[in-house]
Amino acid sequence: MQNKFSEERVLSIMESFGGIQPAVAPDFFYTRLRAKMQPVEEKRRFFMLRPAFITATLAVLLIANVISLFQTDKMPHRPLREKQDPTVVNSKPATIESFAAAYNMTTGSVYE
Amino acid sequence: MTEQELLFGLRQGEESAFKELVTRFQDRVFNTALGLLQHHTEAEDIAQEVFIQVYRSIQSFKGESLLSTWIYRITVTKSLDHLRSKKRKKRFGLLGSLFGDDNKPAYEPEDFNHPGVLQEKKEDAAILFKMIDLLPENQRAAFILNKVEDLSYREIAAILNTTESAVDSLLQRAKMNLRKKLNEFPP
Repeated sequence: MQNKFSEERVLSIMESFGGIQPAVAPDFFYTRLRAKMQPVEEKRRFFMLRPAFITATLAVLLIANVISLFQTDKMPHRPLREKQDPTVVNSKPATIESFAAAYNMTTGSVYE
Repeated sequence: MTEQELLFGLRQGEESAFKELVTRFQDRVFNTALGLLQHHTEAEDIAQEVFIQVYRSIQSFKGESLLSTWIYRITVTKSLDHLRSKKRKKRFGLLGSLFGDDNKPAYEPEDFNHPGVLQEKKEDAAILFKMIDLLPENQRAAFILNKVEDLSYREIAAILNTTESAVDSLLQRAKMNLRKKLNEFPP
């Protein structure tokens, strides 16, 4: 059994939006919107306190430290003579022994 | 407040500017979402999501288009995304079970009544909305923006990022498809 619309009805349906008025947003739309946004703003503020963020930051720092340690390890070793002679200018950081030698002290007296 | 003043205030994070924005655009956003989604609660949710998106992205708005164009574009995009998501859930729901957690059918087709339709045309409009639900996304968007939101071809072209002649073509095809589906109604 066919139940098709007449051409007249089809036309009426096609024109049924004639005179349509725009719908109005529900009451208290802004209030409800702000309430919904509250957790979003708080999430942003407290993002840096989240365990995942802190863990990731620490992991990055740790990896950077490990890389720099490996870099230091790869640097060529100085001959023993250079290590003992405090007047030899080198790029390695001063040790307590070289400091003591420069001032004719023993390491024991440095700590006193 | 001019659009420039409004944009400045929004970029500064001023509450008053955001409130002004929402007040100015809430009806347009809601009406567009309602026409596309044919569901009051979903339209309100999407409208809220639109303003949240505007709030988050205002710094990236370069002002190459009107603020209204940008907001309409977000509204259309979010509404169509929501429709796609609903269709996916419906598909999986029907494959699994016909009943949800509350022992209700997972799919409940409803007759949609737009609150702005004239009383004497409500029945016909409800049928038309059913047919619009079957249109491809771009035709649906163009039809709703033109017939429900009463936007010009030029405005629609800006929103859909296309030309006016392409909008005309979309509307012609939408009308043709609607007539065809009406002639086949009920399926």
